[in-house]
Amino acid sequence: MSVKYIPVQWNPNKWIYDAVMLAGVALFLWVFLYITPEVLSHERAINPQIHNARAFGACAFVMLTVILCIGPAARLDRRFLPLLYNRRHFGVMTAFVALTHAGYILNWYFAFSSTDKLVGLLYANASLGQIAGFPFELFGIFALICLLILAATSHDFWLKFLTPPIWKRLHYLIYAAYFSVAAHVSLGILQDQKNHVFTVLFMLGAGAVIVLHITAWLSERRETAAKDGAWAEVARVGDFREGYAKIAKLANGGRVAVYLMEGKLSAISNACAHQNGPLGEGKIIDCLVTCPWHGFQYDVRSGRSPAPFTEKVPTYRVRVMDDMVEVHPDANPPGTYVEPVPLPEPEPAPEPDTPEEGAKA
Amino acid sequence: MSDKPFFVGYLPAPGPLRTFLLTACILLIAGLGGAGLLMGAAQDDPGPGAFRFDYGRQTVTGVVELTPYPIIHVTEGNDRIKPGDSFLMTAGGKSGVDSRAEPLGGQLAQVSGVVLERGDLYMLQLRGGRNGLQAAEGDAPEITPEPQGRWKLAGEICDGKCLAGAMRPGRGLAHKACANLCLLGDVPPIFVSTQPVLGEEFLLVTGPDGTRLPPEAYDYIARFITAEGDITKRGDLLVWEIDVDTIEVTE
Repeated sequence: MSVKYIPVQWNPNKWIYDAVMLAGVALFLWVFLYITPEVLSHERAINPQIHNARAFGACAFVMLTVILCIGPAARLDRRFLPLLYNRRHFGVMTAFVALTHAGYILNWYFAFSSTDKLVGLLYANASLGQIAGFPFELFGIFALICLLILAATSHDFWLKFLTPPIWKRLHYLIYAAYFSVAAHVSLGILQDQKNHVFTVLFMLGAGAVIVLHITAWLSERRETAAKDGAWAEVARVGDFREGYAKIAKLANGGRVAVYLMEGKLSAISNACAHQNGPLGEGKIIDCLVTCPWHGFQYDVRSGRSPAPFTEKVPTYRVRVMDDMVEVHPDANPPGTYVEPVPLPEPEPAPEPDTPEEGAKA
Repeated sequence: MSDKPFFVGYLPAPGPLRTFLLTACILLIAGLGGAGLLMGAAQDDPGPGAFRFDYGRQTVTGVVELTPYPIIHVTEGNDRIKPGDSFLMTAGGKSGVDSRAEPLGGQLAQVSGVVLERGDLYMLQLRGGRNGLQAAEGDAPEITPEPQGRWKLAGEICDGKCLAGAMRPGRGLAHKACANLCLLGDVPPIFVSTQPVLGEEFLLVTGPDGTRLPPEAYDYIARFITAEGDITKRGDLLVWEIDVDTIEVTE
C-alpha cells in the first residue's frame, strides 16, 4: 500500500529475492560464457560475439520460463507464493538480458554492412512465405518489444495510472512474448542444431509452462465452478475456517472471497486493488485481509485499506441458506460497508446411545 | 484453507516456510547454473574456417577474371600462395571488390590482404583502395575455361566470406539474414556440396551465362537444396552456373 511513489520500496525480502535472482543469472552466464568453452572441443572456437549472444539469449529464455512457471506453481501450492512476491524485478532483469542478446546480434550479424543495421535487420531476409528460412528475427523483435513494454510499465505508478484491470491485461503480453520467443527459437537456432540437448531443454521448459498452466486451470475449475442463480453458492458452513476465505466464481466470471472473521462472514472482491492478487488466498492478519502477493490489507467488512492508505475493493452481500453460504453476484461500490453475517452454530452431532446401567464391566 | 505458513512480503518469512524457500532458492540457482552448462556445452562445432592473421599479409600477382564475381589466377606467388592457384576476393565487412576489379578484368594485377581459409576454400580479404588491388605490369596469360558439363548437385548456398571463417558459425538458417546481407554487398556466393564434385566441396555459384546469382535464389540461401547447372573449371576453381528453375528444397 502506498501514499506516495518512490522508485522501489525496498525491504529485506526484496533484497533477498533480487540477490537470489541475480546469483542465478550470474551463474548461468558465467558457466555459459567461461566454463563451456573449456568443455567444447572445437577445432576453432565460436566467435565470442555469437557465443555471448547465445548465452544471453538462452538465459532470457530460461528466465522467462521460470517467471511463467511461478504463477501456476503458486496457485497449485501456496508455498511458492513468495517467489511471486517480487516477480516484477525478475521481469525487468529478463528484459535487460534479452536486450543484451539483441545488441550482440545486431552489432555482429547486421554490422559491417553499407546498410544501416536496423534496416538490414528488417529487410535482409524477406522469405516470409516459408517455414525453414523464415525471418525468425521478427519474432525476437516482437518479444523484445513486449518485454520492454512490460519492464517500462512495471512500476506502481503505471499500475495506478492505468488501473489494475488494464495494467493486468497489458501484462498478459508476457504470454505473447513467450510464444514469440518460442517461435524465434524454433525457427532459428533449433533449425540448425545437430546436438539436440538444447532442443530437449527447450521442450522441457516450454512443456513445464504449458503443463503447469493447464494443471492450475483445471484445479481452479474444479474448486470454483460457476453456478447458476441470482445467489451463488460458496461453500458449506462447516467448510469455513477462522481467518481464511472460500473463493466463489460468479457466473459473470468474477471471483469473490468470503472470509470468516470472529465468527462472522464477509465478502469482498477476490482481486486486490494493487495487482489483482488473489485476496481469497490470503489470510486475516490484525483483523485485516492480507493479500498473499504483496501484503496489501483491507477491512473485510468495507473493502477499505486502513488509513492513511486509500485502496478500496468492492464488497458483496452474504447470506446463509440452510447449511450453504451464498453470495450475491452484484458487487457493491468499492469501500461499501456490509454488516457481517454471523455463522450459524453447526448442529450438534447426535449423541451415541447411552449404555444401560450395569452394562459397564 | 490449509494451515500452511502465510508469507507477507514486508514481514519475516514464517519459520516453516524458510526451509522450503531456502531449498527453492538453492534449486533455482543450481538449476540456472546447470541449464547454462548444458545449453552452452550443446553448441555445434562451427567448423575450421578462420581469418589467417598468423599467415601475415599476403601479396601476389595474377590475372583478374570476372565470373562475374572476381577471381584472381596467381602468376607470381610467394611461399604460401603458388602460381596456378586461384582464389576469391572480398573487401572488409560485408562488401565485395567488384568496383575495383571490374576495370582490371582480364589484366594482370597485384593483390594484397589477409587470407580466409576453410579447407579447400581460399579467399583474400583485400586491403583498402589501391593497396589491396592495383594493375601490375606485364602480359596477362589467357585463362581458358574448361567446361565440365551439366550437374545436379545437393547442398547449401552460403556467402563465401562468412563460410570461409569471417564468422564461426558462418552458415545455416540462423545465419541466413547475415548471408543475404553479404551477398547483397557483392561477397561471392559459395555452394557447399554434400558430396565432393570433381574433388571439390566448395563451388563458386553464379547465374547462367556469366550473370550474378539471381534474386530468385535468395529465398533458398542457407537451405538444403538440389539444383542443376553447368560447371566450368576456371583455374583450380569450380564455377557452377545454377539454373534457378531447377531448385528444389530437400528437407
